[in-house]
Amino acid sequence: MLEVKQVSKLYENRRGVRNIDFSMSRGEIVGFLGPNGAGKTTTMRMITGYLNPTKGSIAVDGLSMADHPRKTRKKIGYLPETPPLYPELTVEAYLKFIADLRDVPAREQKRRIAETIGKLGLQGRERQIIRSLSKGYKQRVGLAQAILHQPDLLILDEPTSGLDPKQIIEIRDLIRELGENHTVLLSTHILPEVNAICNRVLIINQGQVVLDEKPENLGSAMGEQFELRLEVKGPAQEVRSQLKRLSAVAEAKLMDEESAADAETVKLLVTAKDRTDIREEVFFAMAKAGYPILEMKRESLSLEDIFLKLTTEEPAASRPGEPDDDDHEEAGEDA
Amino acid sequence: MRRMMAVYRKELQMFFYSPTSYVAFAVYVLMSSIFFYLAFVLSQPSTIDIRGLVGNTTFIYLFIVPLLTMRLVADEFRHGTDELLLTSPASLTEIVLGKYAAAATVQLMLVVTSLIYPLIESQYGTLDKPVLWLSYLSMFLLGAAMMAIGLFASSLSANQMVSGIVAFVLLLVLWLVDWIAGSVSGGTLKDVITQFSLNARMANLQKGVLNGSDVLFYVTLAALFLLLSIQVLERKRWR
Repeated sequence: MLEVKQVSKLYENRRGVRNIDFSMSRGEIVGFLGPNGAGKTTTMRMITGYLNPTKGSIAVDGLSMADHPRKTRKKIGYLPETPPLYPELTVEAYLKFIADLRDVPAREQKRRIAETIGKLGLQGRERQIIRSLSKGYKQRVGLAQAILHQPDLLILDEPTSGLDPKQIIEIRDLIRELGENHTVLLSTHILPEVNAICNRVLIINQGQVVLDEKPENLGSAMGEQFELRLEVKGPAQEVRSQLKRLSAVAEAKLMDEESAADAETVKLLVTAKDRTDIREEVFFAMAKAGYPILEMKRESLSLEDIFLKLTTEEPAASRPGEPDDDDHEEAGEDA
Repeated sequence: MRRMMAVYRKELQMFFYSPTSYVAFAVYVLMSSIFFYLAFVLSQPSTIDIRGLVGNTTFIYLFIVPLLTMRLVADEFRHGTDELLLTSPASLTEIVLGKYAAAATVQLMLVVTSLIYPLIESQYGTLDKPVLWLSYLSMFLLGAAMMAIGLFASSLSANQMVSGIVAFVLLLVLWLVDWIAGSVSGGTLKDVITQFSLNARMANLQKGVLNGSDVLFYVTLAALFLLLSIQVLERKRWR
């Protein structure tokens, strides 16, 4: 559907993006994450053809952006960070203009506009001047503009920024719905949003893709060791040494030292030597030793942890005076 | 073509949603009627002649063309709608021509509005028809060329005021070419400079002489600045 190959946008006096490389297949909803100034908007602008890349190539549906600008642009719907609206026009007049501009066939325009207005809950506001709409409704008109020509690929730049929580949920539901028929690339810095709607995450930092994974695989992608939280019925030290004897286990740590002595159960954090799943091994070992496992839970990093980890490591090294970020990072790992 | 028409229609709508346009129109009507009054009523005996008035009216364009064109492209940058236009299937040529066609339509309206003066004069005598129509053609051509310059100035900045001032300065310089030529003492230099004068070209038309090269001058001037506008917009993609 979309192929971004080694795309760079270089500037003389500020950081652009370097060698961005990813592809999207039909039907995916990809969350594009990164701190402010990481290059999300620049990348999206290159995909939509607003900016030309300095190097690299972008292809939509196998058609190169550079060779077929008009054909590829027809396939893309784009909602920039600020919805591109003409405040003087009415919603209806605006959408009519968009329909003409985007080659929606004349006889389909009426139906298409009515459909889009219905889909975005803009009924009753057709004749209202865009200037007089609330921010949430302006955002909807912006979205309407992006989907009116039924594009295959939707590029949404921070579609929920500046909205109130209720509006955010509404827009999110809308995007999820759109994801059923469109391929969506959306940028955001609201992390739960990604977990809520995306089936793939791209994290970009300082102009480079630093992570490209499914939300559920994030932990292993980070090169984390496999971690287990265990609650076992049995003597603490004995359980611990039994676990440590397993060849795949690197470390078994008691969670609450003080109560361990007299308590019947023991809580442990078990770390594997690598990323392999050690759950079965642990189960059989405990079963053999006769210590029942009461609880076993795989530890995974939250998106926040990963985001902070990926996006603060470099700056933390180059800019030492940022205790805040470091705090977050540690807190995230402990949790 | 439909994309261009879409831009054209939208742009024409915007002209009439913008208070600036009404101010410009009002200034135009007021000033030109004052000129008409001075030339036809106040200076007696009055002559049934439109030429003086046409010359004076075109002078008003110097002020109102920047007012009318300054928002054409600058406003797109300000509202972020350039992202919409530049990512649409419409080519820059279609966008710029659509906008320019709207500006030229407004120019046509200005010219048509001032047809009231010859209409009044014709009640008192007979006007020289070729002089009348060619004078009005010259008004339209000059104004339309100035609109293209205004459009170009508007594509340079996201700020309407800056665009307006740039347009005014560009037009003023072209306007003053006549004076510069006047202060150069004869010779080839003077001839060369005069070639670029905005209003010297109108003289023939206003005498009732239709000369292809004069018409071509204004058309070329407009085309040149439209081409420059397209280039300026194309450059934005490479920022």
